[in-house]
Amino acid sequence: MLSEICQGKSLPQVVKHITQEKINLYAEASGDFNPIHVDESFAAKTPLGGTIAHGMLILAYVSEMMALAFGQSWFSGGKLSARFKTPARPGDTVTVSGKIDSIERKNGVSYANCSLECCNQKDETIVVGGAVVRLVNNIPFCHPDPERSETDS
Amino acid sequence: MISYEELTPGYEFPPASYELSASLISKYLEAVDCADELKVLGGFVPPLAIAAYAMATMAGSLSLPPGTIHASQEFEFFKLVPIGATINCQAKVARKLARATMHMLVLELNVLDQNSERVQSGKATIVLPV
Repeated sequence: MLSEICQGKSLPQVVKHITQEKINLYAEASGDFNPIHVDESFAAKTPLGGTIAHGMLILAYVSEMMALAFGQSWFSGGKLSARFKTPARPGDTVTVSGKIDSIERKNGVSYANCSLECCNQKDETIVVGGAVVRLVNNIPFCHPDPERSETDS
Repeated sequence: MISYEELTPGYEFPPASYELSASLISKYLEAVDCADELKVLGGFVPPLAIAAYAMATMAGSLSLPPGTIHASQEFEFFKLVPIGATINCQAKVARKLARATMHMLVLELNVLDQNSERVQSGKATIVLPV
């Protein structure tokens, strides 16, 4: 978990290698056997040109990064918004990164607003998005102190 | 099974219940290979595993053409549920767009626990080939 919550602080990166085996395992676990993920001959004939990883598999990696950064706060009060820009393909190495853009306080509760991105080894963006975490587990803040920027609404 | 053509905004998919058994979650964890998240979770179910089953609620009763892709996703997590719990998943069509070059669906997902308390909600945008 982060040792302190600071505006501008980077979140712990998560790096994963995508393989067709992992995609197949995810298909079995989730029940999503869309051939674009698991049928290489079908996928080769589509505009995508080959199989792609499930978007939800990539979001699982995003969730891992958020859990590493914020612990239990992420699971009970986290919000995620993500857009899939480029598919992740077998052979790709996906790096999930993010940072705390701002910390705000509303109605006596502090929130960390984060931006996040997943890129492949060619630095192409796979996922871009944002997350909000309700901070309840006493991670210390560094300046600016959100108490001084109360924006109750 | 219902097809894209038959769907209308507001359509509610048949709700589904899942028992989040240890074997189901073990399969999921093997697939996502997120051991570090598991340490934080203890004996609770990863929220993205629940989300995957909520999506399956919809996918199981919707006939989607091969090549359908996920365009965007939103989630809000309210509470954790322990391994072994049963969840109830609801999904409905929030928006439907039919254009000459693509079809799009926006689906709202809600997951409740056995006590009808909210576990998570979400919104998925999927793009279907024409």
